[in-house]
Amino acid sequence: MKKKILIIGCGLSGLSAAVTVCENGACALLVSPYTSERAQSVMAAGGMNAALDRQGLGDTPKIHCEDTMKGGAEIADPEAVLAMCEAAPEITLWMERLGTVFSLGEDGRPRQRIMAGHTYPRTVFAGASTGKQLVTALVRRARVLEADGVLERRTNHYFLKLLLDAKGRCGGAILWDELNKEVISLRADAVILASGGQNLIFGKTTGTISCDGTAAAVAFTQGARLKNLEMIQYHPTTIETPSKRMLITEAARGEGGRLYYLEESGKRVYFMEDKYGEKGNLKPRDVVSKEMYLTGKQVYLDITFLGEKKIEERLSEVSKLCKTYIHLDPSKEPIPVVPCIHFFMGGLAVSHNHETTIPNLYAVGECASIYHGANRLGGNSLLAALYSGRVAAKDAVKRSGFAVEDEDRQRDACREEFDGCHSKDSHFPSMYLLNNLSEIMNGKFGIVRNGQDLESGIEDLDFFLQICRKIKFDALIDPYRNYAIKYMLLMGKAILLSAQARQESRGAHNRADYPETDPAFCAASYCTYADGEIRVSFEKDGDHA
Amino acid sequence: MKIRIKRQRPDGQPYWQEFLYQPVAHENVAQVLDTLNYRDDLYDIEGKKAPHIAWECSCQQKQCGACAMVICGNPSLACATFPEELPIKNDTLIVEPLSKFPVIEDLRVDRSILYENLKASELWLTDPARVDSDRYATNYDAAKCLKCGLCLEVCPNYLKGTTFFGPAMIPETYLSVMQGKKDGLHFHKNVAAGCSKSGACQKVCPMQMDTLGMFATLSGRHVLSKKIHKADAGKEAESPL
Repeated sequence: MKKKILIIGCGLSGLSAAVTVCENGACALLVSPYTSERAQSVMAAGGMNAALDRQGLGDTPKIHCEDTMKGGAEIADPEAVLAMCEAAPEITLWMERLGTVFSLGEDGRPRQRIMAGHTYPRTVFAGASTGKQLVTALVRRARVLEADGVLERRTNHYFLKLLLDAKGRCGGAILWDELNKEVISLRADAVILASGGQNLIFGKTTGTISCDGTAAAVAFTQGARLKNLEMIQYHPTTIETPSKRMLITEAARGEGGRLYYLEESGKRVYFMEDKYGEKGNLKPRDVVSKEMYLTGKQVYLDITFLGEKKIEERLSEVSKLCKTYIHLDPSKEPIPVVPCIHFFMGGLAVSHNHETTIPNLYAVGECASIYHGANRLGGNSLLAALYSGRVAAKDAVKRSGFAVEDEDRQRDACREEFDGCHSKDSHFPSMYLLNNLSEIMNGKFGIVRNGQDLESGIEDLDFFLQICRKIKFDALIDPYRNYAIKYMLLMGKAILLSAQARQESRGAHNRADYPETDPAFCAASYCTYADGEIRVSFEKDGDHA
Repeated sequence: MKIRIKRQRPDGQPYWQEFLYQPVAHENVAQVLDTLNYRDDLYDIEGKKAPHIAWECSCQQKQCGACAMVICGNPSLACATFPEELPIKNDTLIVEPLSKFPVIEDLRVDRSILYENLKASELWLTDPARVDSDRYATNYDAAKCLKCGLCLEVCPNYLKGTTFFGPAMIPETYLSVMQGKKDGLHFHKNVAAGCSKSGACQKVCPMQMDTLGMFATLSGRHVLSKKIHKADAGKEAESPL
């Protein structure tokens, strides 16, 4: 009988894992709330890195690895990063063969461009929608595997808990089947979490609201460790719309876009150029975001000098976004921009084969933490998503499932917890707590943090965690959110505790009270959970997941 | 402003419910629904407690197709539709679920038929994709199909359960054929045979997909392949002489 691997989440990393599982002789069950077309992966624009060295400049996976380590302020796992960089050319070829419509060079192979922090041009891309093009190609591959009967895709399913054996090893998962309004359990030889980042904890970010960090937080309470949670990347140039923050691509600055603020006299101050010289606007995301924050003023991105024709040719997506959502023509007016949370370098701690500290439980994509250290380089997230899915799948198919003797009891207990979150007599919506959570996280954990604010944020979250234990939510409103909110609050607390413990500034983590980088903290932060308490520690090598 | 929503509880009958709403400049319909749902308490226009409005939402910026619905009679994405730009009658914004899919709850519909038909049409590659620089732009566009279902909503010929799979099959068929898929039979039987070329699919597509152009290319190739097939069959028949 074929082995069965359960994959939670159907974005790029989940798809990559599912396809690889099937291509290695096992069966995959891919479950998620929505289809892959709705996953955050489709929003990734920039591209995917691979040291192909088509231009003969001398690029190698080793240099790609060095750039990634440097970008991550040296706290990523170098062996794991090198393995990913070495696999990147083969992954690019895999995706070419599956029919990803990459932008092509004259030789008919994917073109490569340079992004901030890279020594050589090594980012393959597909117009302004690399993520979407990769997802389309992988979904098509998934379709034939589904027709062959080795892959099953189920939507309208939300992860609730892991099924664990008596020794705490993973043997499946418990899910909320939204259509049938049922709590169900699924056994599997191994489980791969591909549930994305922690976006919704911060309210509206550049990503989707579907990524809420709940699955990782639940796994955390069941024995998995979390890592580098304080490392959260702010993208410097986003526009604020009534509904969300939307990303203005780095290419706008690549084409010569200039950042400035206005003095009271009305004079423009090109603060990045003043501080870093002519190429100041091209500094990495963490540097630009921090400098923008330090101005304390509304910052503008000016691309008007490019003219309408060039903007439409080279930055048409920017033009469409501004015209549609903020009614601004970027060829006539500068764009008001603000830094906004964009990517989570932290997540579940994993070993080189992407297994978490819970045996037979794997984590891939943005919900795992291993390659990006303190800051992620552009083009490395799509690579990590595809690579991690493949690595985890190849290892998972070798595993045999652990017997979960008390599956029914675990499912019943989970159902009790799920049903116990709400009551038809309650008028208290969990949305209220969600709003409070995002207000606390945005207010106390900014681009530049300080110990006092973090302490006060932790106290606020403790207060709401206590409330969660005592009250029942309105049963008419989103039962899954009613269940998830306490886990989201816990994840928020783990983020703040990690930021509090790292008493230095490094990569995306800036402390006003500890502005210098301290060699003593050149290590990854780890969170463990026991008896309701979160403990933070630091370990040098990322391999000790 | 009044927001009039066609609602339906799971296994229940559809009903209309209205809410009072104070619009904000440049706000889209997705934000209107979000704001209603984020109220501490949601009461309808008659002061009756109302349940959370179920709708599908993900990227909120026209990249995922989740929030397709019918707004003031127009099938569209809620995240790309702005009340201030609509010819709203009686100061009332009317929101309904797509009508060609089964309703799960309120504005959420079950679009699984779309995926079933893609599978039934065997839209996949068996060999490595052929790269065609000349077709790059159309292939790129075709791969951007959101699977939102708006084209099926406006198609005058698409009805659930018939052998006509509708325009949602065209982009994936085009992409797969251009990248090397040989068998075009499903396209002929399940798309070309039922299409009256109204062009409604093209007009409603949030990605501005050139479905008619792709359709024409695919039809041309199909006719050509039939001719070649016929000529080859003739040669084979003649060869023994």
